[in-house]
Amino acid sequence: MKRPKLSYTLATFFIFAVVLAGCVGQKENHKETSSITQEDLLQAKWQDVLSQAEGQTVNVYLYGGSEATNRYIDDWVAPRLKKQTGIILNRVPVNDTKEIINKLLVEKQAGKRDGSVDVMWINGENFLTAKEKDLLWGSFVPELPNVQKYVDQESQVIKNDFGEPTEGMEAPWSQAQLVYTYNQNKMQQPPKSAEALKQWVKKHPGKFTYPAPPDFTGSAFIRNILYQTTGGYEQYLKSFDEQKGLDNKLEPFWDYLNAIEPYLWRKGQTYPESASKLDQLYANGAVWMTMSYDPAHAANEVKDGRFPESTRTFVFKEGTPSNTSYLSIPFNSPHKAAAMATINFMLSPNAQITKANPKIWGAQMAIDPNKLSEKHQKRLSALDLGKATLPAEVLAEHRVPEIPSDYVEYLEKGWLEHVAKD
Amino acid sequence: MWQKIKPYVYVLPTVGVLLLLFVGGLIEGLLQSIGFLPAAGQYNLSLNFYQELLSSQDFWDSLVLTFRIAFLSSFSAGILGMFVSVCLFMLAKMGRGRIPRFWQRFFQLPMLVPHLVGAYLMVLLWMQSGWVSRILASFGWIDHISDFPVLVNEPFGWGIILTYAWKEAPFISLMIYPVLLRIHASWFETSRVFGASQWAFFREILLPLLMPAWISSTFIVFAFTFSAFEVPYLLGVTYPRMLPVLSYNLYTGGGLEARPEALAVNVILAVMTSLLGVIAYRLSRRWHMSEEGGW
Repeated sequence: MKRPKLSYTLATFFIFAVVLAGCVGQKENHKETSSITQEDLLQAKWQDVLSQAEGQTVNVYLYGGSEATNRYIDDWVAPRLKKQTGIILNRVPVNDTKEIINKLLVEKQAGKRDGSVDVMWINGENFLTAKEKDLLWGSFVPELPNVQKYVDQESQVIKNDFGEPTEGMEAPWSQAQLVYTYNQNKMQQPPKSAEALKQWVKKHPGKFTYPAPPDFTGSAFIRNILYQTTGGYEQYLKSFDEQKGLDNKLEPFWDYLNAIEPYLWRKGQTYPESASKLDQLYANGAVWMTMSYDPAHAANEVKDGRFPESTRTFVFKEGTPSNTSYLSIPFNSPHKAAAMATINFMLSPNAQITKANPKIWGAQMAIDPNKLSEKHQKRLSALDLGKATLPAEVLAEHRVPEIPSDYVEYLEKGWLEHVAKD
Repeated sequence: MWQKIKPYVYVLPTVGVLLLLFVGGLIEGLLQSIGFLPAAGQYNLSLNFYQELLSSQDFWDSLVLTFRIAFLSSFSAGILGMFVSVCLFMLAKMGRGRIPRFWQRFFQLPMLVPHLVGAYLMVLLWMQSGWVSRILASFGWIDHISDFPVLVNEPFGWGIILTYAWKEAPFISLMIYPVLLRIHASWFETSRVFGASQWAFFREILLPLLMPAWISSTFIVFAFTFSAFEVPYLLGVTYPRMLPVLSYNLYTGGGLEARPEALAVNVILAVMTSLLGVIAYRLSRRWHMSEEGGW
């Protein structure tokens, strides 16, 4: 007879514990949002935002697949943020940014006002979905002091995210560009255009492939080929609905991809499902080229010993797609003041230059180098990018924009029909 | 009164959780598959998504592939699992020494490895540029690593089947081993007295006893492989894809419009699995009924 009693006690204890924990959590939240209401935050003085932010814990959700990014956030940003503003940064890694959007959608559907995400790293179609479904907080970006001081808010690359106006709902954080990676010892002259790539692939059967879209990198690669085979990106900048005769326009593009298919790795019967799989194929010598949307990725892989020392990167003569990625605050973030302060901190010259340092991460700055003080400019130009990373000027000269998300989706679907199936 | 409702109160937490998370999830999926998604402002219910799905070649290719792979992997895991546990049983009959215990541990080993790791091991070991291929090439047994047969990422699904056979066989042997343990040592001796060979003993005594547990555990493996995601995602090909991968790609690729279709795939998967479950249950019960007398 003793046993059931013990289980009752345990059960009661658990129920109490849960209820208690719930109460405590509630109280804490209540305290945190008491001084300035969330609507007023956008009008409040920056000092007031900071004092409200102090002591809050901010949950930053971002893609967790890059060691360098994680190291930068955990070892560099978090301790300094805590010291300067008293905010505790909690990094939450996700596999795919879509997971964040899904989470927010579910939270919205369930009517959850105090969500779990405070800051998220997004761009492109995820931003579009979030904006269309009202998952974002509002136009907080112009309020951030570092945006006012250091961001070129009129720049096309920053104002529009894959063709979609950001309207101050997300702050530019990083810039990236598609680069191709090759082993210098195996090929002296990398093919610097789509046509040259085709010739090279035909001469070296089995030594090239690309990740299957909708993988992000694979999708960027086919867009790069699209620009080159159908006469530039400009024609795709107008909205998808206004586009006439798109299928005819795309024909040379599908022809190109089908023409190289028999000469790809495994004769194109299958494609690597992710960029990391392609990296692995490159690392063990099965293919001779890989690609990344992060220009410093190859250098990082060399540093970590996964890629051979003779690894180098290149871009097409006519340019490769480049985009800006952003930090944003969701509609139901419970710590909006801390979120604003964190984003502001991450846009400070110090944080941005450190982010650009290949020893730490190597991602390009989203703030305007011309707006930096002389001291900071000197620090920026002193960065050693490593042999595998292209100089910033070369990247900048070969930068072409991304096209609206509708096209991206259309191309990804079309790829399966036109290329993968047959 | 209390005595009467006591059992119900005891199962309440489990039933509650099951209803909320499992049945609730199913209903939610069902609702979304017919186009009900308030967060995205979609309220119109229709069966269009099912219609679209059932009329697309992609779906049927995926379905055939999924069936073939799930059948072959559960069947090979079943055979392998039974073989292993019968071997263990025979070993145990030899005495309770160290060696049987070693083998028992050895055969349980794959159960410790998560599926994702299993799939990744498969990639590392058996790809054309994998360890095995490179070792063979460096010993000169094959001229070049591309001479190695393609086992991973090929359209038939050998990589997936191998992974599941390796991974699930210990599960099956673990399920049927207790049945074997209930067999008295004297039965074997008795059968020898009457002139039965080892094979006859297996066929006439062990197999019928094992069948119910074997069928149900093999079915569990089938249901699992039928709806598993990570192994086919890593080891499959770009086209055709297994149903769970198809559903994942529909769900994550593109906007919210494709969501209902992805969930329709899941609902179809769930319905098929439960149908097969009913069949397997009937089958194993029939075996059970006819063989139970002697226990």
